Amino acid sequence: MKSAWSVVFVKELKETLRDRRTLLMMVAVPVLLYPVLLIASEQLLLFGQRRLEAERAPVALVGDVPSGLVSIISAGEALSLVPIEASPTEALRSDAVAAVAVLGPPTDAGGTRTVTLFFDAASDRSQRARGELSDALDDWADTLLASRLSGRGLPATFAVPLAVNDSSVALPEEMGGYTLGRILPLLLVVITLLGAFYPAIDLAAGEKERGTLETLLTAPVPASAIVTGKFLTVALIGVVAAALNLGSMLLTFQTGALQVTEALNIEVSIPLWSVAVIFLALVPLAVLFASLFLGLAVRSTSFKEAQNALTPVYMLVLVPAMLPIFPGISFGPLLAITPVAGVSFLFRDVMAGDADALLATLVLASTTLYAAGGLLFAASAFGSERVLFGGGEAADVPRTSWLTRLHSLGREGRVPEPPVALGFVAMLAVLFFYGGVRLQIGLGERVLLLSEWLLLFLPAVLFVTLGRFDAVRTLSLRAPTAGGLAAGVLLVGGALPVVWLVGWLQSFVLPIPWDLLEGLEELMTAGDARRLIWLLVLIALTPALCEEIVFRGVFLGGTRSLEPWRMIVLNGVVFGVFHLSFQTAIRFLPTAMLGSLIAWVVWRTGSIWVGALMHFVNNATLVLMTSTPAVREFMSDPEAPPPLWLIPVGAAMLAAGVRLLPNRTEP
Amino acid sequence: MIRFSGLGKQYGSVTAVRDLTLEVQPGEVYALLGPNGAGKTTALRCLATLLAPSSGSAAVCGLDVTTSPLEARRRMAFLSSSMGLYGRLSARELVAYFGQLHGLEGAALGARVAEMVELFGIGDFADRLCAKLSTGQRQRVSLARALVHDPPVLVLDEPTLGLDLVSGSATHDFISRERGKGKAVLFSTHQIDEVDLLADRVGVLSRGALAAEGTPAEIMRRAEAPNLARAFLALVGDAPLAEGPRT
Repeated sequence: MKSAWSVVFVKELKETLRDRRTLLMMVAVPVLLYPVLLIASEQLLLFGQRRLEAERAPVALVGDVPSGLVSIISAGEALSLVPIEASPTEALRSDAVAAVAVLGPPTDAGGTRTVTLFFDAASDRSQRARGELSDALDDWADTLLASRLSGRGLPATFAVPLAVNDSSVALPEEMGGYTLGRILPLLLVVITLLGAFYPAIDLAAGEKERGTLETLLTAPVPASAIVTGKFLTVALIGVVAAALNLGSMLLTFQTGALQVTEALNIEVSIPLWSVAVIFLALVPLAVLFASLFLGLAVRSTSFKEAQNALTPVYMLVLVPAMLPIFPGISFGPLLAITPVAGVSFLFRDVMAGDADALLATLVLASTTLYAAGGLLFAASAFGSERVLFGGGEAADVPRTSWLTRLHSLGREGRVPEPPVALGFVAMLAVLFFYGGVRLQIGLGERVLLLSEWLLLFLPAVLFVTLGRFDAVRTLSLRAPTAGGLAAGVLLVGGALPVVWLVGWLQSFVLPIPWDLLEGLEELMTAGDARRLIWLLVLIALTPALCEEIVFRGVFLGGTRSLEPWRMIVLNGVVFGVFHLSFQTAIRFLPTAMLGSLIAWVVWRTGSIWVGALMHFVNNATLVLMTSTPAVREFMSDPEAPPPLWLIPVGAAMLAAGVRLLPNRTEP
Repeated sequence: MIRFSGLGKQYGSVTAVRDLTLEVQPGEVYALLGPNGAGKTTALRCLATLLAPSSGSAAVCGLDVTTSPLEARRRMAFLSSSMGLYGRLSARELVAYFGQLHGLEGAALGARVAEMVELFGIGDFADRLCAKLSTGQRQRVSLARALVHDPPVLVLDEPTLGLDLVSGSATHDFISRERGKGKAVLFSTHQIDEVDLLADRVGVLSRGALAAEGTPAEIMRRAEAPNLARAFLALVGDAPLAEGPRT
């Protein structure tokens, strides 16, 4: 008997191949449109160049014009001399000439005569005329130099003490691989992605929108068979699209249809084994895209919504895929395990013929791992009725928009929905990024304090009040118990060595922002007691209240309907992302860990006050340690591991904290 | 054949179905009657294993739909109000696809598909893509798709929604025919005449709970109403309509 997944797979493939959109992306674009566009654009370029070269560019010479220069220009075929009445600028603006050389007064036998070239940098014609005129001037300068040297009885080689000749050892086919390796990876990744894009939306969100998923799920087959069938279809389409594109591109270059290869003296002939490796890497990449897109698309209620959800992912994928284009980025283990970037770099190196086996293995293994994660993500959606039936509401349960819910009179126990809470935090992050950072740069510490209260605390209070949410439940405003407070302090103290250890381990793979660390150290160092109190208010107390009300208040309260571990991890990740900047990637993991720890404690105790205390203790410890010269010296090297004795102390504190932590309490 | 035992379904703070208990016997047609939002679709989706009950249970042929969902699906035909046809498959391909999903293959599959094509009179358009079919034709294909595995239980969610008189009447004939074969039919509707015409027993669902149950005559008697429409309005407590002219 045929397995259910194969029945689903064959049907999905049949239906997908009947979809014009998919065929267009999978076959028409790579096989027809792409080579045609490539050749057509090259031909247009060559046509334009030939047209420019076919006509003599009118140029003018102004000043004391030597006859030698006039003879050189007249002997050539590229320029024609025309007289001008107006100034060089006006003559150029009126298109009377394409370039003008203004010659300075003649000098004595050993002097340097100045020549100024006027041209229009925004015009191809003028730029070409400038080049030709410059060449003519160089030729004239050579004759002047030769005459000077012979006048002194010196050979012409006297002024050329060194002649440098380039001799590249790269064979034309190696150059071909190198050149192609810059462009092709991005193209292959994008085509794989586009190949999977529409089928994923159609097979998941499209099926939901058309109501066929409901019918399918009443057939006696497990959801896993349905996901497998659909996923294999999307992955296959992605791989085929990319393979067709790869073949089409190689053929376009290899058949000599492109003249640019001759002009650049390159030869495109990728060995068969390289094509095989590229194909091998394309498979997990297609699997990753297929599962990721399928998982996202099935969580959307309509085709349009899925398109909106997938487009940011598409944009995000472009960034790592583009990295090989930029010169100077060397391919190492970190890039190899970076999603998409690893595959992109592997393609580049394979094409250039110098792929590293270890890196290739890392790329294939990590991409396969990510793909497996993506598959789990997709499979989890197909098993969830919340996802399949539009956010947990059946067709016959009246729905209200979130705006209506936000403005309606709240009742006891009402908390924001997870997407609303996440949207709120995302909005604050943007506000804080643009507003807060600018204010801080311009106005210093006081405004830093003000921005925390105005851009975090105040919006959180307004959100809960205007949204008419149950403030006690949303913000976990339950009074803390002594045990909860003690547990919080012990846990955050015990986490310090762990966070230090993670930071140290990260220093092996991530760059340390020395400038930033020095700046922070300077900011956090208190010279006197008054400064110390101010720093404690600024760096410890204020974030403990303002950031906690946002993250362990609104965000934790709004995501309480998720599974606890998801809610806690998500809280940490979002907290980590919020503290992220271009220079501070190294801060992400420790901050996320701390965020998750505080989230867990607040969830267990039902009291945000415990979280605020933990946040305060953590930040205050840093201020106090940095302000104490002996301690500062001891921990000033971020590349040093934490002292060994701290590990058991930390572990003991963590164990005591967990033991003291009260049982789960609803706020 | 079909049994709901205290079934409840909750969506967050919204209760869609509350303590629903009913049974449908072989050869019986049971109509679940209720206004929009009464919980009819949710109850049927729970039975069809699409939604997990929050409390209570549902069973098909003695099989609990939560613990034995695949076995329960094998014994049930589910027709959703959206029909759920694949636009880029032909009618014949669609019926064959669901036949395969139910484990049919080879000659047995071919024979069953041909039988369905014949039974539902879809021969003229069997090889046309479903996207190009009329609503009535789509309904026939949809029924053929649902019954391809010849199950003893039929669960139909608003089976005549959007159909013209001819197609609606054909659907009614089909339901009567299936009852004659001894099948248990549970269908949801908000059309009183349909209930009058087909149902052996009626369950009136209001705000997620069963407000009344019995034969149409029993329902009218209990509501002290001259007809089923008035009885229905009285039971669902729709005051403005109830005050309207009597029919």
